[in-house]
Amino acid sequence: MLELFDKIQETTAFIRSKWSQVPKAGIILGTGLGPLVKKIDVEAAIDYGDIPNFLKSTALSHRGRLVCGKLNGLPIMAMEGRQHLYEGYPLKYITFPVRVMKALGADLLVVSNACGGMNPYYKCGDIMLIEDHINLLGDNPLIGINDDRLGPRFPDMSEPYCHKLIDRALSIARAKDIVAHKGVFVAVSGPNLETRAEYRFLRTIGADVVGMSTVPEVIVAVHSGMRVVGFSIVTDMCFPDSLKPADPHEIVKIANAAEPKLTELVLGVLEGEK
Amino acid sequence: MNVASIQSIASASAEWLQNQWTGRPHFGIVLGTGAGEVARAIVAEKVFPYRDIPNFPVSTAIGHAGKLVCGKLAGVNVVAMQGRFHLYEGYSVELATLGIRVMHQLGIKKLFVSNAAGGINPNFVSGDIMMIDSHLDLMFRRAQPTNFWNFERTTGLRSDQAYDQPMMEQAAACARRNNFALHRGVYVGMLGPNYETRAEYRYLRRLGGDTVGMSTIPEVCVATELGIRVLGLSIVTNVAKPDSLDPTSGEEVVAFADIAAPKLRTIIEDAVSRN
Repeated sequence: MLELFDKIQETTAFIRSKWSQVPKAGIILGTGLGPLVKKIDVEAAIDYGDIPNFLKSTALSHRGRLVCGKLNGLPIMAMEGRQHLYEGYPLKYITFPVRVMKALGADLLVVSNACGGMNPYYKCGDIMLIEDHINLLGDNPLIGINDDRLGPRFPDMSEPYCHKLIDRALSIARAKDIVAHKGVFVAVSGPNLETRAEYRFLRTIGADVVGMSTVPEVIVAVHSGMRVVGFSIVTDMCFPDSLKPADPHEIVKIANAAEPKLTELVLGVLEGEK
Repeated sequence: MNVASIQSIASASAEWLQNQWTGRPHFGIVLGTGAGEVARAIVAEKVFPYRDIPNFPVSTAIGHAGKLVCGKLAGVNVVAMQGRFHLYEGYSVELATLGIRVMHQLGIKKLFVSNAAGGINPNFVSGDIMMIDSHLDLMFRRAQPTNFWNFERTTGLRSDQAYDQPMMEQAAACARRNNFALHRGVYVGMLGPNYETRAEYRYLRRLGGDTVGMSTIPEVCVATELGIRVLGLSIVTNVAKPDSLDPTSGEEVVAFADIAAPKLRTIIEDAVSRN
């Protein structure tokens, strides 16, 4: 991990040369959730390919662009699309943008993803506030010699997702009549979807939804001392005893349809950051 | 790295050590976080910082001094690794377990491995010690299987077969005599380096784990391969109560490990002196 520090400085300097604001929050937009950027007063938009040390997004419906500007008057930076372990990238580079957000001044990370719902009380299109996670990726972005300038060797994980922000988001959801749950996200490496036996296993160990992202970024945000709020959009239901094949394009469609609700909640959470 | 090359690397380190220290140890000891008191109980004849030993990696974890202590414990020749190598430090499985192969070359037949672990069995109390009866490997890391494992020697062995029942009985008797609690249970190995989330603690408990840590399993797998008998000792440094979890810090772990250190020393000294 020791090589990261200098790279962070390099990338930070590059982004500052294009955008001089100090972001209050960093936002990572997952599958189908890119349209949220339409709400941003864009001051700079940079393709990942043009940013030093950033990886390209190869996943479906991930635009691969860093959008800097104001959301409801609050300076933020948003990643339109992310990278995943299944794309073959090392986790410490997948999570690199989070370290850059922190270095630029953001102390809040807003993460979102499309996920499979396993809790039978959830419905397709529902939003779940991530209350906690289980890391089954078989990997960790903090492997290697720790750089104490970036964070502690053994980060505590007793509250990776800020409970105050979860409560704020849930109360906004009630006010706006949006169905929102609070539950446990389990991260698997993918890229195949789970077998029926795996869904039973994941449900048994206490997870409500399953996805292939988010946990690495959250681990790095906690390592960096950032607060985190995480939104999962349930884009397909994974009931092992009546399982239908998942269609990635259908997933994108459902995520797109749910995106306005996500935008409402994100805007509401950020309103409290002013 | 294949089994021949890792063995020759270990042989080179062992040969260098034998030129400096002529003792033939019967026991090896791997001292985990905070268990330095056991090392201090050893009458050291030679101490080798890892950086001086050919081929040895250098330990980067807090609470780990990073030296090989050679000498006598209760009058018996021992070799102790004070500080170990963890997979979260970025070492390969082969390199992280090199010390076990080196101690094997020096002649050890029995190994004590200690670690600082989170208690997930709610009956445990911080500062307690648990003997590892078996383990769950959730580290997601393997040595190169076709090259690394010596199949002729390991065929049919379970990786937890090295945990020695007679050594456990002896340790349990020693704990009774000295009036302290010594549990027996299942150690879960995680990759780390972050501590577990509440959801992860619940999951590991449901799987049947009693303690959780980030070490020991790779070492025990190699000990199994080499036919070394093992007594695994988990120091419970913080009991995780997932429904009211307090933050865990590395410093706190070291502090509770220090409370358990005298008990660890008693168990190991007793076992060594009976041989």
